[in-house]
Amino acid sequence: MAIPGIGQLVGAPGAVPLARPKQLEAGGEPKGDFGNIVVNALQGLEAVQDRADGLAVKAATGDLTDVHDYTIAATEAALATEFTVAVRNRAVEAFNEVMRMQI
Amino acid sequence: MSIFPVLNTSGSGLRTFRIWMDAIADNIANINTVRPFDEEAFQARFIVAQAVRSDHQNPPGVGGGSRAAAVLFGDPQGRVRYEPGHPYANEQGLVRYPDMDLGDQMTQLLMAQRAYQLNLAVIDRARDSYLQAIQINGR
Repeated sequence: MAIPGIGQLVGAPGAVPLARPKQLEAGGEPKGDFGNIVVNALQGLEAVQDRADGLAVKAATGDLTDVHDYTIAATEAALATEFTVAVRNRAVEAFNEVMRMQI
Repeated sequence: MSIFPVLNTSGSGLRTFRIWMDAIADNIANINTVRPFDEEAFQARFIVAQAVRSDHQNPPGVGGGSRAAAVLFGDPQGRVRYEPGHPYANEQGLVRYPDMDLGDQMTQLLMAQRAYQLNLAVIDRARDSYLQAIQINGR
């Protein structure tokens, strides 16, 4: 018995098709794949943490002019870390969800 | 450029008010600085705060905080006082004191301190908010 392919959903007024990434529409491998996004995010996180580290050294050597410069940089680094970890956790969660899919 | 712009905005406010407090500290430290009559008295320091424009925030009209743009100086004439016993006194017994009022300086110090604390409070709230946003649907 032939199983018909799933056709486009019609008759739902107001339904807007999901936007497709431009790279996919152009064909070929998507450039902004998830791995690259994560690598970029990690590089950004590293920059934030480097800034906080530099200010920590300044604080230790007495070159820090503004106390809040360091504390804000440290807060930013902590938030960025938390954020990156959250993104990674969600991604792993989604991956596991897909892997558990019964085919 | 940051995904947590409030931190930098409030940080600029903290810097502005720290500089204001520095200026007030300078004024209070010199509240009794006496100068000879034929020289300029110590001039009170005034900080000029300026809004910082920001082009990366959304919506674009929201600025990027404040900065201490300039320092202005008070009256170089100071307050002429009659103190004939003072080593700096001229023939008429006159010296120059800075034209500052301690009560006024203390009021300004209070304002600067409260403004500094306000910016700290904003950072605290922003941090809590960002953390809660990160933890949406989290464990």
